[in-house]
Amino acid sequence: MYAPLEPHGGRLVYNVVEDKDKAANMAAGLTKLEVEPTLGPDGAPIRNPYREVMSIAYGFFSPVEGFMTRNEVESIVKERRLLSGWLFPFPLIFDIDEEKLKAAGVKEGDSVFLTLKGRPFAVMKIEEVWKLPDRKELADAVFGTPEKNGEVVKRRFDEKHPGWLIYRMMRPVALAGKVTVINPPSFKEPYSRFWMPPHKSREYVRQRGWKIVVAHQTRNVPHIGHEMLMKRAMFVAGGDRPGDAVLVNAIIGAKRPGDYVDEAILEGHEALNKAGYFHPNRHVVTMTLWDMRYGNPLESILHGIIRQNLGATHHMFGRDHAATGDYYDPYATQYLWTRGLPSYGINEPPHVTDKGLRIRPVNLGEFAYCPVCGEYTYLGISYGDYKEAPLCGHTPERISGSFLRGVIIEGLRPPKVVMRPEVYDVIVKWWRVYGYPYVTDKYLKIKEQELEVELQ
Amino acid sequence: MSSGVYKIGLLIDEKRYEAIKNLPFASKMKSMFGGEIRMLEVEVDEDTAKKILAAFPSARVDARGFLEDLPVAFKSALFEAVVETKSVGKEAFEKVFQKIDQIKEAAKKEKEYVPPP
Ligand SMILES: [Zn+2]
Repeated sequence: MYAPLEPHGGRLVYNVVEDKDKAANMAAGLTKLEVEPTLGPDGAPIRNPYREVMSIAYGFFSPVEGFMTRNEVESIVKERRLLSGWLFPFPLIFDIDEEKLKAAGVKEGDSVFLTLKGRPFAVMKIEEVWKLPDRKELADAVFGTPEKNGEVVKRRFDEKHPGWLIYRMMRPVALAGKVTVINPPSFKEPYSRFWMPPHKSREYVRQRGWKIVVAHQTRNVPHIGHEMLMKRAMFVAGGDRPGDAVLVNAIIGAKRPGDYVDEAILEGHEALNKAGYFHPNRHVVTMTLWDMRYGNPLESILHGIIRQNLGATHHMFGRDHAATGDYYDPYATQYLWTRGLPSYGINEPPHVTDKGLRIRPVNLGEFAYCPVCGEYTYLGISYGDYKEAPLCGHTPERISGSFLRGVIIEGLRPPKVVMRPEVYDVIVKWWRVYGYPYVTDKYLKIKEQELEVELQ
Repeated sequence: MSSGVYKIGLLIDEKRYEAIKNLPFASKMKSMFGGEIRMLEVEVDEDTAKKILAAFPSARVDARGFLEDLPVAFKSALFEAVVETKSVGKEAFEKVFQKIDQIKEAAKKEKEYVPPP
């Protein structure tokens, strides 16, 4: 029951070779294959599978050890299970062009030497070479449709949905098999301060003596609504006693234009403990490399897996979890964690089902500032017979993302009851670097060029 | 539509508030989030609205008659003009339109560049 819980699937993956001689032996004589980004219709990079190689090899996605075979992908889209039976929400596909496959001349049973920006990176043992089905059908199967998944999908997915687009734009052939990082990269600033993979994170949790650790998913610079969510979730996490700490884990990778830049997300959360809004002994900020799929309830399963592997005992889920647009119901994640999602083959909540997760949900709605009370109040959750209703009975002012974006882009300082001044200062710091506070196509291109890592 | 039916909502933070707090219209602003941010509603007549919509293709009129999705450069210039002319009417817009070419140039870059505060 206490942190760290056993890893998802029972064993923590760590397929990273630090020994240089051993790495050289593994790579000797192998055909090289460069890891390439997935491009959107306009040529903007929307994913780099290097992030998946890292997250698999360092154990974030334990028990997954490699890219998936056709059978495994079919099992995932049918019932969100790996072939071993453990719950997992998304297909992990290493896709390449046919010509590139021909040129490399690799086949099943071979190993291939993956390079990144031309530098040695990883080895994949090829278990299967398979052809992707129609990519549009694949993308629909991954995310769902209003017809088939009416309990949570409200609108048909399309090119404007960044996660759907990743599967839609995949190359036609896939290589499946276990991956091992043989040249562990070093992280650039500021990422190096936040890189704490599962084996290190679990050790950190033990050293701190934390027993109840509640994870916070973020792809956002925190406003005070997020801070309230974190604090209240920590308050209820332990059930019979409060939690010990909040583990903030940011998703770092290609994001939707309009989201905040990754550097500001990390340092914005860090500012909360530096400036004393959280005690640094009860709050830690780390990161996971992943090009976000914005899959709301599905993404919440991946978040549960990652944070269980990182050593958390609980995961908080708020309104519109990992969502963009109005494709999913705003409380789709709470639906999953209280009832399951039968139309996706998940008949019970993820922490209840056999071969499911051990991490437990803290399901919460939104918090909003009430001008009458002069403080934040809880709005509750709307679903079925339940309707959001402010706890204090007044009319609170919700923080809408577009309102806050409007305030910030006009160069105005957000009110202190909306965003901590120290957090806002971080936004401005990175705005000065990139000429814009949010992700743009230009930022995505710079990010693809630079990545988060350096390879020797 | 008759004149004066359109509006532009200008967000006023504490710094902006300092610059206009003694002007007569300052007391009419709508206060949000405990008063640290306010909304100044500027009335726009038909002709001016047409000129603004023509200058900025992204701009639109919402259901309440507010001009939305205006470039940051335009809103900043409008606020400066309000301060200079001490008015929320025609004089302020005349001032803005004197340098509309410059504003349009800045607006074109706003998808990828907005000067940091
Ligand atoms: Zn109240």
